[in-house]
Amino acid sequence: MSTYVYGIIDGSRSSLPEDMVGVGDPQRPVRILQESGLAAVVSDAPEGLRPKRKDLLAHQNVLAEAGAGGCVLPMRFGSVAPDDETVTAVLAERAEHYRERLRALDGKVEYNVKATHDEEAVLHRVMAENPELRSLTEANRRAGGGSYEEKLRLGEMVVAAVKAREAEDATEVRQGLESSAAAVSAGPESTGWIANVSFLVDRDGAETFLAAVEQVRKSHPHLELRVNGPLPPYSFVEPGPAEPAGSTAGAESSGE
Amino acid sequence: MTVVPAQQSGGGGGSSGLYDVLELVLDRGLVIDAFVRVSLVGIEILKIDVRVVVASVDTYLRFAEACNRLDLEAGPRKSPGVPDLVGEITESGARGKSKGALSGAAETVSNAFKQAREEREPEQQQRPRARKSTAARRKEEQE
Repeated sequence: MSTYVYGIIDGSRSSLPEDMVGVGDPQRPVRILQESGLAAVVSDAPEGLRPKRKDLLAHQNVLAEAGAGGCVLPMRFGSVAPDDETVTAVLAERAEHYRERLRALDGKVEYNVKATHDEEAVLHRVMAENPELRSLTEANRRAGGGSYEEKLRLGEMVVAAVKAREAEDATEVRQGLESSAAAVSAGPESTGWIANVSFLVDRDGAETFLAAVEQVRKSHPHLELRVNGPLPPYSFVEPGPAEPAGSTAGAESSGE
Repeated sequence: MTVVPAQQSGGGGGSSGLYDVLELVLDRGLVIDAFVRVSLVGIEILKIDVRVVVASVDTYLRFAEACNRLDLEAGPRKSPGVPDLVGEITESGARGKSKGALSGAAETVSNAFKQAREEREPEQQQRPRARKSTAARRKEEQE
C-alpha cells in the first residue's frame, strides 16, 4: 500500500485534530509517521489518484488543519511514497534540513497576491499620462472612428502604454508589500496576471500586511488585487527560489 | 453585477479560493526525490500562457474601439473605480473582453477539473463545454 504525504511537522506536536481525512473516495484517514523528532502527515494513497478538485481541496484542508497548530512544511500535491518506511527513511536522512526549515518558517504564513488591471480605469490612466494618445483618440473620433490604419496605430500605441503600465504596476505592487513581509517569492508564471507574488508574513503581523494591501489598493485604483491567505508556506519550503526580503529566508520581519 | 470580487481578502480555505492558489498547490511545495508524483495529465492546460494584454491586430482594434468609447472628459475627474462607470462599460465590450481573457484562465482550470472528474467522457464533448463554462464561471462569481 503506497503512502500519500501531505506535509512535515515537528514531531513533538501531538495536537493534530482527530478524525482528519484526506484524499481519495472515500477519503482516507490521516495519520502521523514519527521519525527523528519529525512527523510526516500521511494517509494511504488511493489507487489512480488524479488532480481532481476534491482531492486538491482535501490536500489543502489537511495542510490548513495541520498548520493551524504550528508550522507545517507543505508537500506539493500528489506526492506518493511506495510505503511508510520510505517516508520515515527520508525523514531520518534529511532530519537536520527539515528541522531547520521548520524553525525558519515557524510562526509564518504565506499570502498570495494577484493583480489584474481594471481595463477601463487603466485606459483612463494611460490617456491621462499621454497627451499624444489623447489627441490621436480625439482625431479618430472626429473622423467617425478613423480608418483601419488609424485605428491600428492608436490601438498599438495604447497597447504598448498599457503593457508598460502592467510592468510598472507589477513592480509597484511588489514594492508596496515587501516591506511588511519576511520574504517574497514570485508565483508561477503564465497564468494571466500582471503580478502574482507570494509573501511570507508573520502570522501575528498579518494585519500589517493586509493594511499594506489596502494602501496599494488606494494608491492604484486601476488595479484589482486578489489576496489569498493565510496559506501554508508553499513557496518558501525550500530556501532556493524564494528571495528573502531581509537577510535570509525566515529572518526577522523587522527588515528593511 | 459581473465584477470579480476584488475587495475580499483572506479566506484561503474555501473552494472559491482554491482556483486562486491552485498553482501553488501544484507548482510549489516540498518535492522529495524518493517519492513519485501523480500524473498531472488533464491539468496541463494550466501551463498555457494567458497574457492579459497580447500584442496583436485584434487587440489593437479592440483597444482603439475602447478608446473611442472612453469618456475622456470624465476620465481625470471621475475616480476610475466608480461603480456606475463600471456598469456602463461592462456590456459594451472593452471591459467585458478583458474579463473574458481573465476568467478564461480560470475556466481552463475549472475545465481541467471537470475533465479530470469526468475523464471517461469522449473528447469531442469537452469543446462545447469550454464555451458554456463562461456562463457557469460568471454565475459562480456572482454568488
